[in-house]
Amino acid sequence: MRYTTFNQENNDFMTEPMFFGNPVNVARYDQQKHAIFEKLIEKQISFFWRPEEVDVSKDRADFQALSDAEKHIFISNLKYQTLLDSVQGRSPNIAFLPIISIPELETWVETWSFFETIHSRSYTHILRNLFTDPSSVFGDIVDNEQIKQRATDISRYYDDLIFATQVWQTHGEGTHDINGESITINMRELKKKLYLCMNSVNALEAIRFYVSFACTFAFAERELMEGNSKIIRLIARDENLHLTSTQHILNLWAKGKDDPEMAEIAKECETEARAIFLKAVEQEKQWAAYLFANGSMIGLNEEILCQYVEYIANQRMAAIGLGQPFDISSNPLPWMNNYLHSDNVQVAPQEAEISSYLVGQIDSEVSAEDFDEFEL
Amino acid sequence: MTLRDGTAFSTSKDTLLDDLEAHNIAIEYHCREGFCGACRCKIISGEVDYTTDPLAFIDDDEILPCCTVAMTDLTLDI
Repeated sequence: MRYTTFNQENNDFMTEPMFFGNPVNVARYDQQKHAIFEKLIEKQISFFWRPEEVDVSKDRADFQALSDAEKHIFISNLKYQTLLDSVQGRSPNIAFLPIISIPELETWVETWSFFETIHSRSYTHILRNLFTDPSSVFGDIVDNEQIKQRATDISRYYDDLIFATQVWQTHGEGTHDINGESITINMRELKKKLYLCMNSVNALEAIRFYVSFACTFAFAERELMEGNSKIIRLIARDENLHLTSTQHILNLWAKGKDDPEMAEIAKECETEARAIFLKAVEQEKQWAAYLFANGSMIGLNEEILCQYVEYIANQRMAAIGLGQPFDISSNPLPWMNNYLHSDNVQVAPQEAEISSYLVGQIDSEVSAEDFDEFEL
Repeated sequence: MTLRDGTAFSTSKDTLLDDLEAHNIAIEYHCREGFCGACRCKIISGEVDYTTDPLAFIDDDEILPCCTVAMTDLTLDI
């Protein structure tokens, strides 16, 4: 089915599935099939922040005083975070928008991706401060074998879905000869690709990000690279929300609250979904080995980081009904939660207490009791 | 509030997560605002009220201790 930017058929979007129904026409939010996405949009917008608001100037001196092993950990970690957000800043838009059928989800995906671009801009903000010319750091992201290995797996499911969607939208269902390659497209397979892609995104937001967060916050625990840590806390808060959204999508499907065919696919592909998670866990452990290859740092080493990966994987897999495959019940890095606590995020110096921007929050209703505390 | 191992204590006007922490019970949390779902746990019996509209996914038999207060006696699967 060819994509149209304004579907002129007067369809009832309240009966559309989240994906692969009719394209969205009017961007309206007065009625919502899945109201949660509108709530997520509101919350995400209230989190708005700009990297330039965070002062990272003190980090330069801290960075220069780090040991070589610590420098390797810090920079590799930043490179990986840059890769993750490079992918996330564009892929949900390109992969999901052409196949979304309800307006609130369409807007959520756009809002989500926009925030990932803020994250990407903040890595440049951090690196510009550390290096006069950060080109070699950025350049290594596409050359470094360790990072490339991860990039392949992260982008694979997106690329698969995007290509199949493109063929479907230009040629429809059936077997097509594309550049000498025979490609079979049917709706069931498209939906499977979507399901696996969503699981891969979920694993990315659920596990991959947290390994890098742990490294960042381990520096902050030693009162080092604090500007960087403040930025990563803001990123972590956003990522928490993105994770919630993919968990909602997966659970809506699995519990048959959206497209009934997706509920069947969720059952059918459970083993593959679990395998995506377990592969992410394995890769993150390998990444931990690479990070600490030149030596560990105070408060964090390969073993503890691997335990944390397993611990967080248990939590995240349980949230989408995939059980708890690892034998670890207590958090090996309890201090992590102090950094992931939303209220502790400080944006600007004057905002020590409240981190969400609340624009237009003026109470227009004043009752007589509001003046009770006043005395003349 | 009663827990799986039989531990019981009375709840306060603070959130269930605050109460659990006040009794030194380790429970996972991130945001403490109901949007991440990290503290999600199963409720065996009782009713809770949400102090903020939770955004995280919660199954029918689950609650988010970070933004709930007890309405009745509770038994949690912790």
